[in-house]
Amino acid sequence: MLQIESLSCFRQDRCLFKDLNAKVLPGQALQIVGENGSGKTTLFKILAGLFEEYDGRVITAAGSLYLGHRYGVNDQLTPVENLKFLLKLNEIQLAPGLLMDALARFQLSAELDQPCAALSEGQKKRVALARLILTSARIWLLDEAFSALDAPGRAVLSEVCQAHLAAGGILIFSSHQGIPEFAAAAQLRLEVGS
Amino acid sequence: MMLLLRELKIMLRSPAGAIQSLMFSVLVIALFPLAITPDPDQLEPLGIGLIWVVTLLSCLLAADKSLAGDYADGSLEQMVLSDYPLWWVCLVKSMAHWVSCALPLLLMAPILGAMLAMPLDRIVWLMASLVLGSPILSLFCMLGAMLTVGLNQSSALLPILIAPFLVPTLILGTQWATTGGEAFYGYMLAALLCLSLVTLPFATAVVAKIAVSR
Repeated sequence: MLQIESLSCFRQDRCLFKDLNAKVLPGQALQIVGENGSGKTTLFKILAGLFEEYDGRVITAAGSLYLGHRYGVNDQLTPVENLKFLLKLNEIQLAPGLLMDALARFQLSAELDQPCAALSEGQKKRVALARLILTSARIWLLDEAFSALDAPGRAVLSEVCQAHLAAGGILIFSSHQGIPEFAAAAQLRLEVGS
Repeated sequence: MMLLLRELKIMLRSPAGAIQSLMFSVLVIALFPLAITPDPDQLEPLGIGLIWVVTLLSCLLAADKSLAGDYADGSLEQMVLSDYPLWWVCLVKSMAHWVSCALPLLLMAPILGAMLAMPLDRIVWLMASLVLGSPILSLFCMLGAMLTVGLNQSSALLPILIAPFLVPTLILGTQWATTGGEAFYGYMLAALLCLSLVTLPFATAVVAKIAVSR
């Protein structure tokens, strides 16, 4: 479960949002909606535990995985090395076969042994997203995870997300494009300068 | 261990940074006799101090680069969120910084010493003082890098911020080597190393949390 209680945040004397309330139960998705600069990324950072200057309460009852605009893929390492590192950060040890499967699911089989510097922006993002297939985190915080992906990539990602929800996971995401699969998800709207 | 291996792997695949700071040091040492005097009697007393100053500067210059990549690609955020203790992450980053800029200089010290006409016993003391002293430089540089990472003017701010903290190490290190191993300086340097080793990674960890929330 993830619960937000009267959450307010000020940055540089500007009020980003005031009195946010939300409750997400296992198996539910929540879409954060708002214009550029309305504080979506800050909200994600608060939920992930990266940003602590806020009023109100955030209650998380499970481990979370945060993927932001910068998603931790190093240019010098290969996709496999990157993925292995990101998973080991949460002490997840895996058979190499599973890593390959996860990367194959995101159509990265051909790029396995080149450094990520040679990959496109969308492909790098897929490397980070492959982590979702293997993680044990119950709460996913995906800030603009659908951007920079092509249509097949978006399809794979929403499949993975739906499987996560079906298994009782929690999904918090933001997206400027409409994601048809999640059109029915609850929304939390942030207004600029509210 | 996994973190350290990753740092070394990244370093080996893009060695330009390490080579650049080594080139800087070797060039300064090579130009010095040309600009001042080639006379061995005048050069010899300068050797220890000169190599120490060059080590300090190359550590300072490489500091902001050692974190900029991890900050820009978001690895730093993921490390802060990881299950690893953050002080350990910071200690590993300091070790990686030491391996990339102090270790090559330490290995080159006999050649650099010879270029400044230093006799062998002074080179040995110089290397001993660098072994004890340069890890302190790296620990402080990592603290400075973490303080300034993500700021626009980080490369200008970092040396101003951190250089004063490096001065005690510089004094103790050069004095220890110049006096040929006088116990007082050696003990002080070793004490400073122990103190920085057990305090600075924790300080850097606190700063890292602030850095990722910017």
